[in-house]
Amino acid sequence: MKTISVRGLTKEFKLGQQRRQYRMMHEWLTVRRPKQAAHGAGSFLALDDVSFDAESGEVIGLIGRNGAGKSTLLKILARILRPTRGHIELRGRVGSLLEVGSGFHGELTGRENIFLNAAILGMHHGEIVRKLDEIVDFAGVGQHLDQPVKTYSSGMYMRLAFSVAAHIEPEILLVDEVLAVGDAEFQKKCMQRIEQVGKHGQTVLFVSHNIQAVLRLCSRALLIDQGRLMQAGPVHEVAAAYLSIGGANQGERIYPEGPYAPGDSVARLRSVRVRSRSGETLATVDLGQELGIEMEFEVQDTTLPLFPVLSVQNEWGTEALWATDAGTEWHGRTRPAGRYRVIAWIPPNFLASGAMTVTAAVYSLTPRVEHFREVDALGFQTIDTLGDGTARGDFTGYIGAATRPKLEWTVDYEGRVTSASPSRMSAPRSDHAV
Amino acid sequence: MIYDSAPLRVRQFSRDALTVIDQSGAPLFRKIAEYRQYWTLFVFLALRDITLRYRQTLLGVLWAVLQPLLPMAIFTAVFARVLRPSTGGVPYWLFVLAGMAPWTFFASAIIMSGNTFASNHGLLNKVYFPRAILPGAAVAACLLDYVVTGLFVLALVSWRGYRPTLEWLLLPVIALITTALAMSVGVALASLMAIYRDVKHVLPFLVQLWMFSTPIMYPINLLPQPVRPFIGLNPMAGVVEALRSCLFGTPPDWYLLALSGLSTVLIGFAAAFLFHRLEADLAERV
Repeated sequence: MKTISVRGLTKEFKLGQQRRQYRMMHEWLTVRRPKQAAHGAGSFLALDDVSFDAESGEVIGLIGRNGAGKSTLLKILARILRPTRGHIELRGRVGSLLEVGSGFHGELTGRENIFLNAAILGMHHGEIVRKLDEIVDFAGVGQHLDQPVKTYSSGMYMRLAFSVAAHIEPEILLVDEVLAVGDAEFQKKCMQRIEQVGKHGQTVLFVSHNIQAVLRLCSRALLIDQGRLMQAGPVHEVAAAYLSIGGANQGERIYPEGPYAPGDSVARLRSVRVRSRSGETLATVDLGQELGIEMEFEVQDTTLPLFPVLSVQNEWGTEALWATDAGTEWHGRTRPAGRYRVIAWIPPNFLASGAMTVTAAVYSLTPRVEHFREVDALGFQTIDTLGDGTARGDFTGYIGAATRPKLEWTVDYEGRVTSASPSRMSAPRSDHAV
Repeated sequence: MIYDSAPLRVRQFSRDALTVIDQSGAPLFRKIAEYRQYWTLFVFLALRDITLRYRQTLLGVLWAVLQPLLPMAIFTAVFARVLRPSTGGVPYWLFVLAGMAPWTFFASAIIMSGNTFASNHGLLNKVYFPRAILPGAAVAACLLDYVVTGLFVLALVSWRGYRPTLEWLLLPVIALITTALAMSVGVALASLMAIYRDVKHVLPFLVQLWMFSTPIMYPINLLPQPVRPFIGLNPMAGVVEALRSCLFGTPPDWYLLALSGLSTVLIGFAAAFLFHRLEADLAERV
């Protein structure tokens, strides 16, 4: 059954509208506002003529770069924003999870917060009462249920918030990637829950610029770029298209100076690129070649030992490789302020061929803090040519493995098979007979 | 407590309910149906406000009684001698308290609800629900105080020797009208404040001015003649007048009450208009 139908959806944001409002109060009070405001230079299209359908039971990924219009689309479907043009039909109850813990208040007890938050998410009193035990179990807050949540640990708080969110059962579920924040366990729970929801015949629209999550959860994906629907179809094709438009920028990505780059007051990401030994930036890498994943970051805080981590994912979302600076003189040490360039060298004939993405991160471990973790910072293609020297040898078929290293491969020839083994096989058979 | 009692009865929407979203927004009947669907949210928002107001306070709901009582004491101490107002035989302090009770409710309700859109910016941007629930629930949360104060005033009135009359049956109706008025003004203020934060700064003065232009600490006959016919335009004047007339059996000023009724309706329409103009774009503009 078709549950979502979107036709010609367009959303225009007016820039500088705020200032105009302050100046002209009387204008706001009049019934019609002057028309030129809608088409002036001071507006931009967040969504431009987007059309698509979704069936029940589908988990659809919505991918695109930051500011592509994904969240705007979700907000319009959730009726938070009003479309400028277009027509949408939604069949069934719509639930939206654009954040967890909406309306949570520290002074209220866990139980009170469950009720309030569930009501905000559109649940009725009867439903909440029915699911209360389940929610409490899932959150594992136990005897703290009637304590104010300001006394909770942050983990408990998040678990409680998520477990309420996890128990809404609309026919259409809109999920933003804010759900994907939090620790690994929490993320896993989120993912499992979304998977389950899809299997129960509900429609899920899942926004992310994390290709891995989309690949894992979705069968179909929509690619949005600069407000336009660029491609819709099987998730692997769309993911490949995302990489090719530079969803994860090809070969090199340089972040703007200042506070907009990923990072915090301790460390901030400056650039990521794939390079050769001689310093060229590579967007496509022959697997027979060595390649380096380079990250530049700035350190401002000199008191914390920092751990840079680089990892590579393939187009199936599998983490093919994870590396840190273990073994170097900088490992586990505090660093003087300044700019660092780290390069992880991947030997020839190690990765498999396909579309790869790089995740760049810097952590400190005691306490564990993520200073930045830029998922899909960068995309690059790995290819291999047939013949001598490659790890695939003469094999031309499809290889699904995450790595395809050229290993040391030993062969011992032990001569011709003798009659020793059949006699060993007969022993258990005679036991059985007795 | 409501948190684990039997379910409130709420109509379940059908599985195939069709929602259409376009530029023009939902039709009116649909919007009204939605408020019924979100009844649970309304109740819990109001409960949250009540809970938060009295959690970690020593006196709890007693504050509901103290709030009108303290200004009453001040006014009585200051004005009873100076003005020597003729209150038709009613002790001055009781006269003031009868006006202070609805006023305290009204003032705190419009201040609370007026802030709701501006202060719930995050919520409005992340979750959909019928927007007027926010100011509405804020007013509803003040209603408990109103009822407590009202009962307290009734007790004092009885203690002073006034016998309950049939007119006392009208008191809940007056309370209802005050609530409707507070919701209208609250929704209008919230809508305005969503766009012009100036309203936030103006509001305390507005409330003060409004209080002094309501006959709370003075009887209407103390007003200068040219102003007197217009005092009914202030709907709270009508509320206070009606309340006193019910409590103390003084003959009501019908002209004033009619004028107040009219202005209450007008304020209701104005609030609906303001809110309707803003509603669909609230998340964007707040």
